[in-house]
Amino acid sequence: MRIGFPHFGNVYIALKAVARRLESPGDVLITPPPMTQHTLDLGVKYSPAEACLPYKLTLGSLIEACELGADVLIQARGTGICRLGYYAKGQEQMLRDLNYAAHFLTVDISHHKFIGIMRLMRDVTHNRTWHEIISSFFFAIGKLSALDRIEKVVHKIRAVELEKGTASRIYRKAITSIDEATKSKEVKELTKEYIEKLNRVPKDITAEPLKVGIVGEIYVVIEPFANMDIEIELGKLGIEVERTLTISRWVKYSLFLNYLGLDEWRKVHKLAHAYLDHDIGGDGWESVGEKVLYARNGFDGIIHLAPFTCMPEIVAENIMPSTKEDIPVLAVTCDEQQSKQGMLTRLEAFTDLIGFRRRRGEHGRRV
Amino acid sequence: MVTVGIPRALLYYQYYPMWKVFLEKLGAEVVVSLPTNKSILNSGVTRGVQDTCLPVKVFFGHVVSLADKCDFMFVPAVTSLGKKSYNCSKLIGLPNMARALIPECPPILDPEINYEKGRYNLYRNIYEVGRHFTCNPFKLKKAVEEAWASNLDYRNKMSDEGITHFQAIDCKPPPDVKSSSLTIAVIGHPYIIYDEYVSHRLISWLQKMEVKVVTPEMVSQEELDAATRRLVGVPHWSFEPEIIGAGEYYLETGVDGIIIVAAFGCGPDSMMLGMVQHRAKEFEIPLLPLSLDEHSSEGGLLTRLEAFLDMVRRRKRVCV
Repeated sequence: MRIGFPHFGNVYIALKAVARRLESPGDVLITPPPMTQHTLDLGVKYSPAEACLPYKLTLGSLIEACELGADVLIQARGTGICRLGYYAKGQEQMLRDLNYAAHFLTVDISHHKFIGIMRLMRDVTHNRTWHEIISSFFFAIGKLSALDRIEKVVHKIRAVELEKGTASRIYRKAITSIDEATKSKEVKELTKEYIEKLNRVPKDITAEPLKVGIVGEIYVVIEPFANMDIEIELGKLGIEVERTLTISRWVKYSLFLNYLGLDEWRKVHKLAHAYLDHDIGGDGWESVGEKVLYARNGFDGIIHLAPFTCMPEIVAENIMPSTKEDIPVLAVTCDEQQSKQGMLTRLEAFTDLIGFRRRRGEHGRRV
Repeated sequence: MVTVGIPRALLYYQYYPMWKVFLEKLGAEVVVSLPTNKSILNSGVTRGVQDTCLPVKVFFGHVVSLADKCDFMFVPAVTSLGKKSYNCSKLIGLPNMARALIPECPPILDPEINYEKGRYNLYRNIYEVGRHFTCNPFKLKKAVEEAWASNLDYRNKMSDEGITHFQAIDCKPPPDVKSSSLTIAVIGHPYIIYDEYVSHRLISWLQKMEVKVVTPEMVSQEELDAATRRLVGVPHWSFEPEIIGAGEYYLETGVDGIIIVAAFGCGPDSMMLGMVQHRAKEFEIPLLPLSLDEHSSEGGLLTRLEAFLDMVRRRKRVCV
């Protein structure tokens, strides 16, 4: 069995970690090449014209995996309210039309999440013991949360580092060395080491960077290719970025803690309640709540990322301007037509705007 | 007497008779907005963000036009109508969007209809709406039962007599169909194909061109569900039967051509359209996808329709 999967942020590191422990000569993991313009072109060519960007990118990535010889593909499925539930149906049909002999294994991300993933792993590894499967799963999750912890520090350092690009360089190194780590203990040591390294980066001590929160649809928020490295670009402009959506957090809560009655979004949903009182699918409800949260926490602005024609985010975008909590929001729509220069111009203008606001101390007034 | 406004957009076409009976039995007066016209569309377009799809913009326009004519606005949030199937996010967040974008709107009655949350939740939501009109739960129960009966009547009437939403709501007789040689299935959400301003009178143009038009609601719900199951399995969206089910049903029964009408940027349709298109290729039946937005013109639409019908007619002559 040659197993392929679409790229999504750092998920490939987790899958590689699992593969390293469970791979056998017959079953190998095919990691598709990192996303490039070619991936996007493939996806756009073979998708319905009005499909959303995550659909196109994951399809492109799956085609690239098929070209490398994958015959089993992993894709998410769910009964959420957005198009995600339809991805596997549409993509499977398209790959069949393209004569790739690949068959889909879907991971249900709305019901029986943990058990579903465990069963899937057992099926593709041909009945390895549960101990092996579960320990490799936790090893992989450990790597993801280590990377998310490091990234959180990177966001802070990027805004104030003296030599631009240092933090990103260290982060890239951290990704490779954590990817190569073979033991959980090693991952823990590496995390500590890289966080220390980041803290030693020469910084501008007097700087009080502007703070911006990133909200929106999970795929375009997490996958740097989809949002054209918006976090790095904001760092270059001297802006500190914060985002709550991370893969490790999603795993931690929706696979385990939600069953114990802990809801990571309870606070955010409560804040959104006055404007939107029920789930609308995708990440729409969270986007509205996070706007309120960031405004109350004294952030300078919000960047709202959404794929073009994303239904939940359009609802959020419609509701956001009417909230009592006043904070500038820059809505960035991601699709195959976007250009980096255009986005940079908008980011610069937005930075100027929030900079003025802070200098004049007019947090309370409408702009 | 309390007046309740119902915007003539989106779910109006499917559920108006039911809503009307429900509200009138509770002692309210029902006001419906005028059919969509240019000023309604324009006032809706200026309210929402530009990425919003056309039907939702039209809906905002209707709410604006009704805002000063009623004491309450009736905008249910229809979340789920079947097991594990949901509506589009925009329909679920509709009352919230209306409240956010149209501040002058009177209080909105927004019962959440969610099959997944169970019976009790549904009863409670309906009771909360009813409380504005009556304190008597028995009166409310009776109103609900009568409303549901009228909904079933309405649906059966459409599928038995083969008439459209329009004719069923206004009790108009169906137009005398001349002996036409072509049968074309027009597939799309009722709020697009029956909104004459949005669809540029597509159906009446087709009838003028001597084409027999069949639409999704002329098929019974059971048959639509069965056709959906045959093609894609368990439906993912509540209104999947009316696109995929109807597409599959008409392809199997053999029509001369299919026209799929969708709004630009409609999320569910972008996916379902691909499925039906793929299927039409297998059956070798011509399919015309039409994408409508606020910039589409009647002239352009007619040209495409004429070309499509010419193609279908010629094909039929050659085949026979």
